[in-house]
Amino acid sequence: MNEHIDITVTVNGEVHEQRVEARTHAADFLRHQLGLTGTHVGCEQGVCGMCTILVDGQAIKSCLMLAAQLDGAEVETVESLAVDDRLDPLQQAFKDEHALQCGFCTPGFLMTATALAREGRRLGRDEIRQELAGVLCRCTGYDHIVDAVEHHLDATAEARADG
Amino acid sequence: MKAAPFEYVKPATVDEALQALEDHLGMARVLAGGQSLLPMLGMRLMRPSALVDINGLAGELGRIEARGSETVVGALVRYATIESSPVVSERLPLLQHIVQYIGDRQVRNRGTIGGALAQADPTGEMALACLVLDATIVARTTQGERDIPAADFFAGSYASVLEPEELLVAVRFPLAPDHCRFFERGRKHNDFAVLSVAVAASRGAEGRWEGVRIGLGGVNDRPLLAEAAAAALEGRTWDDATIDAAAALAMEVVDAPDDVRAGAAYREHLVPIHVRRLLRELAQGEQR
Ligand SMILES: Cc1cc2nc3c(=O)[nH]c(=O)nc-3n(C[C@H](O)[C@H](O)[C@H](O)COP(=O)(O)OP(=O)(O)OC[C@H]3O[C@@H](n4cnc5c(N)ncnc54)[C@H](O)[C@@H]3O)c2cc1C
Ligand code: FES
Ligand code: FES
Repeated sequence: MNEHIDITVTVNGEVHEQRVEARTHAADFLRHQLGLTGTHVGCEQGVCGMCTILVDGQAIKSCLMLAAQLDGAEVETVESLAVDDRLDPLQQAFKDEHALQCGFCTPGFLMTATALAREGRRLGRDEIRQELAGVLCRCTGYDHIVDAVEHHLDATAEARADG
Repeated sequence: MKAAPFEYVKPATVDEALQALEDHLGMARVLAGGQSLLPMLGMRLMRPSALVDINGLAGELGRIEARGSETVVGALVRYATIESSPVVSERLPLLQHIVQYIGDRQVRNRGTIGGALAQADPTGEMALACLVLDATIVARTTQGERDIPAADFFAGSYASVLEPEELLVAVRFPLAPDHCRFFERGRKHNDFAVLSVAVAASRGAEGRWEGVRIGLGGVNDRPLLAEAAAAALEGRTWDDATIDAAAALAMEVVDAPDDVRAGAAYREHLVPIHVRRLLRELAQGEQR
């Protein structure tokens, strides 16, 4: 029986060849097999968004994807954002706007907003809330998270316009 | 929240997928977007012997095609694709409008129209759109293909008429009515609906309404059409009295569930109010 599958997956630019159990979801694979614990696990049923990562550029909940389905894919996790000790501009915006308290939800928001920022559009606060609705935060009340993402989207759009 | 063991099968063609489903004698499940299936596996609500992952079949199942007056949407077309498709926006604006009520960005990036229909959630927005747009669901086995009208597809709570070894391959939509409206009441945006209503109709000669369809979600064990209500509106012009009578007739198909999201009495209270509202909006002629 094919209960184990060999996969080749690129995670944050690094190619991994791994044997995974068919029933293992992508979040457990990243955390337990690759030791990338920045991707958090809350509900394991698709509701909280803590486990959001980018697969081929798209924000998805990694508890709702099998590790086996990552074969051939390009994965980005929160570990891809900071370079050495330098925060990426989105992370810096979260810091500047006080967009986190306990920080458990932060990887989910950062990855969802990373995909959003790549679209290069400026969005209104309501639209930002819509786009972030798949990640829950129990601490901040969301306002500061929306502030941070709004500023980051504005800065990204401006930088693009300046060429 | 860990699934029980299963075999993982990744077919390269639809024929291979059909063969795998047949080989597993009804014990395998199709894996599409996984947005309902993986939570159910984690909760161990089911223990299939195998998952047949159809995500590699986008070439055969992932297209949206305009064929004459018909629009054919492949089973693997994702919500996000429907959201941004110019073909859908031109030909099936109701379908595009309704998608934004489903889940969140991440769910819409993965979830598929075929998965949503096979899941047969009594509050499912895709199901409701397919009912009021008079869609035909195309299902295939190794033996051949059959067409199932959306109105005959849903068999009960989270149950469809699909056989376990049958693959939903596409949804065919006829020319959409000129006027469509949708309303949903949920506990919060992006959550499953407490009540959803969709209406569709076209304006014929002398302002008479034709092809009237009224769909209701969340008020029975499956999404369904309020046929008596629609019949009372068919071929007529509408005034307040006709609309009130139709809204009352809509109650005939309501057998509302009591669940964590809302009580039956509340759902029943909402039905005539919102059917009436949507019909009035339609009669007032704004298009959506
Ligand atoms: C946080 C969250 C919020 C959600 N909110 C909503 C909402 O507001 N409204 C709503 O309607 N849904 C909602 N959903 C469910 C979502 O719409 C699912 O994507 C959808 O119900 C199933 O589609 P899928 O492609 O993910 O299918 P899967 O999860 O892969 O499969 C679902 C079922 O369909 C079967 N199946 C899938 N494809 C086929 C096929 N081609 N042929 C035969 N059988 C098939 C599978 O075997 C399985 O039994 C939500 C889900 C989550 C996680
Ligand atoms: S852990 Fe994946 S959505 Fe909650
Ligand atoms: S900062 Fe604590 S959950 Fe969001």
